[in-house]
Amino acid sequence: MQRDKFFKEIENLNHPNEKLIKTHCSYCGMQCGMNLRVNTQTNKIIGVEPRYDWPVTVGKMCPKGVTAYQQTNHKDRLLKPLIRDDASLKGTAEGFREASWDEAYDLIAKKFKELQTEYGKDSLSVFSGVSMTNEKCYLTGKFARVAMGTRYIDYNGRFCMSSAAGGFLRSFGVDRGSTLPWTDIHETDCLFIAGSNTAECHPTSMFRIWNVQERGGYIIVVDPRETPIARRADLHLDLKPGTDLALANGIVHQLIGMGYIDEEFINKHTNGFEETKELVKEFTPEYTSMLTGVAPEKIIRAAEIYGKAPNAVVMFARGVEQQHKGVDNVSAYTNMALVTGKIGRPKAGVATFTGQGNGQGGREHGQKSDLLPGYRKITNPKHVEEVCSVWGITPEEMPQPGVSAYEMIELMEQKTIRGLYLLCSNPAVSAPNLNFVRKAFKALDFMVCSDFYLSESAEFADVILPSVTWSEDEGTVTNIEGRIIKINKAQEPVGESKPDWQIQVELAERLGRGKYFSHLKTAKDVADEFRLATKGGYADYYGATWDKIDKQDGVFWPCKDEKDEGTPHMFLDKKFYHPDGKAKICALPYRPPAEEPCEKYPLRLTTGRVVYHYLSGNQTRRIPFLHDMCPEPYVEIHPETAATYNMEHEERVRLFTRRGEAIYKVKITEAIRKDTVFVPYHFGHEESINLLTIAALDPISRMPEFKACAAQLEKVELKKVQ
Amino acid sequence: MKKRLYLELENCIGCRSCLAACTQCGGHEERNRNYVYDVNPLVNRQTMPLMCLHCENPACARSCPAQAIQIHETGAVLSALVEKCIGCQNCTIACPYGIPKFDQEQNIMYKCDLCIDRTKDGIPPMCASVCPSNTLQWLTDEEIDNKKKQFNLDNGKWVTSMPYLEGETNVKVNLPGILQGITKLF
Repeated sequence: MQRDKFFKEIENLNHPNEKLIKTHCSYCGMQCGMNLRVNTQTNKIIGVEPRYDWPVTVGKMCPKGVTAYQQTNHKDRLLKPLIRDDASLKGTAEGFREASWDEAYDLIAKKFKELQTEYGKDSLSVFSGVSMTNEKCYLTGKFARVAMGTRYIDYNGRFCMSSAAGGFLRSFGVDRGSTLPWTDIHETDCLFIAGSNTAECHPTSMFRIWNVQERGGYIIVVDPRETPIARRADLHLDLKPGTDLALANGIVHQLIGMGYIDEEFINKHTNGFEETKELVKEFTPEYTSMLTGVAPEKIIRAAEIYGKAPNAVVMFARGVEQQHKGVDNVSAYTNMALVTGKIGRPKAGVATFTGQGNGQGGREHGQKSDLLPGYRKITNPKHVEEVCSVWGITPEEMPQPGVSAYEMIELMEQKTIRGLYLLCSNPAVSAPNLNFVRKAFKALDFMVCSDFYLSESAEFADVILPSVTWSEDEGTVTNIEGRIIKINKAQEPVGESKPDWQIQVELAERLGRGKYFSHLKTAKDVADEFRLATKGGYADYYGATWDKIDKQDGVFWPCKDEKDEGTPHMFLDKKFYHPDGKAKICALPYRPPAEEPCEKYPLRLTTGRVVYHYLSGNQTRRIPFLHDMCPEPYVEIHPETAATYNMEHEERVRLFTRRGEAIYKVKITEAIRKDTVFVPYHFGHEESINLLTIAALDPISRMPEFKACAAQLEKVELKKVQ
Repeated sequence: MKKRLYLELENCIGCRSCLAACTQCGGHEERNRNYVYDVNPLVNRQTMPLMCLHCENPACARSCPAQAIQIHETGAVLSALVEKCIGCQNCTIACPYGIPKFDQEQNIMYKCDLCIDRTKDGIPPMCASVCPSNTLQWLTDEEIDNKKKQFNLDNGKWVTSMPYLEGETNVKVNLPGILQGITKLF
């Protein structure tokens, strides 16, 4: 593979009595390459060394990456299974006792069987995550459907990536988060970045992004906040939260009007242009400005820069996707690339920033309620048959499609779902409308949680199973680019903790379904079956063997067989994955956010990340350096807004919406719109901003609208805080 | 080939990876020895890192009555020698950039040593290794000269030099404005 200009030929420092284990960070979709330093006497991880030879990030790491190794031997690790005998203590960290694996397994099997006998197969559910390997994601889907026999499985990607998936599927017929490798993006001429606080959420992209500007290229940023990347952008479109669809339509209107479209590309390779042209007619700069709050000149200028650029990449993230029209937003921004033909060649395309470590692979291999491995549909009899032949069950045994993550929680509250097996996720912090979610978890008859720390969600469990961190297991992960990479084992599991795949194999045995799982004795066994199960699917991983991944610095999917080197650039042949080979330009009418500001709730609340924490913070809040840098959440308010409420910097105030309230410290900054407030979402219990967020779901992706709801602020009396 | 630390302040995104990385360098005992400032926190998110500039004639070493601060042959100004430092804190007062920190418990000064265990063997210091925004870079003199040609401020004064700073330094700093004068591609 050709090395790009950032490649450094530097040897790593080898300390005496240490070995370096090549692997990747445990956190976001960048999956930065790193070496874990392992003491050869104690065989424990003791530190980190940059991995200069990794082509995507060449040794660069954010503060989370630098300190990630500290989670493995952390004092808070769960070392033995825990059982709670007194259900009245649910929702607290109290009342757990240590137990043996046998006792925990016996209890789980007994309770699961009892519930299914009394209330039917579908009374159980699985809620999983995508910060885990492809192999684990795959096996979790199989475990739910084959070992538990339930239709109810879904995952936290519904809070993270599913709108991007829905948008790409509709526009291209396939969902790979980036149509080009990251080693291309600094060579493009214009980056159009919407709804992404890239500097804080994907910092190791920044050296490539700044390089675009240093070469004379342009950066256009769409964000209600003046994030570090918006601060230096050539153009910052500071829209009202939740109005992206209008902005994208407005820009497409300008691209058409100003003659920047590629008619040949549109005619040969797309459908839907005429309808879209008709629909965006009304989105004049003035009308778009009225809806979005962005000045008309900025909209015109953005279209001009993007339109003129020989190559450009449209990029977006959760700001665009976590809305109740997230799928439409994704398709609408994708329209920009399709009408101008800036896709299907190097240095141009569309990309979404993956939030979770395996946000890409995790959604392809059967953890979603409607999907089977290799991006196969559970509603397609042919797809079901293909997977059944690998699993050794009959198509009749395959459960029906279930419902999305938040809808599963609703079924728990309604007592349709009675039991839950939760792994690798912390919905008691990360789901919207948390007061309801907590009520739903309390309503469960029986809950199992697998985690390596006692998370806020584990506090609702009856049994907690100690699992391992990413450095105690091996497997593959698919990064932000669609590149399949290898995670390597650096130390043996601490205490009695076990990898999730092993837990599932052992639990399947207890549930009487051992014959479908007992051949899986190592992570490699799971990997081999997993590759086979994806063979022939859209997301075909069959050719991505661990050897090839090592040799090629990762393999881009689809990779169909031994000879296939993978597919770094998508659509080079201008063939899209819809049956007629064409992409779809989507005509998408504008809809406002589900909840608009009103007299009682005049502000718009939006949420997001800080650079020091990952997702619900269950891991990063325990790392001393990261905790010290950002120990608590805050509410960002514009100075003029703060003045109208008579609020001062660092004063504690009450923020409330129709769903809940919480008290936060004020952070005054001019870097936010006057009509908007922002709170980071990484904090638990009474500090969680998701007590306030709205569970309005996108009709296609079923993703909640975390990014916009109506809110109000109030001063609090000091005595209330104390 | 001799390389120097080079700071492009305007690239800084405030992630403080450099601080986290500093704690990982051998011999730093998990204490970081550099700083990142919020330039104007109530207004915007501009931040800037402040590292030891490894002066050619360092005030910290000049002011040390015990000669505890040595200068390595690579130009790195080292942390106080444990056996010599008397804990007088002259160096922390003398340094115009406020770099040396003082450990009250051990009664000793500690400061950036440019990861001497790495840089003496041609391996970049930890802060520059990990810096995701290319604010901190580890460059040859030739590469720094190229940067100088590329990023040319109107006033021609672009890197730290007399009389603007304490004196000549081994670390080079690019003042804000690096994009000034860039010719746009289109």
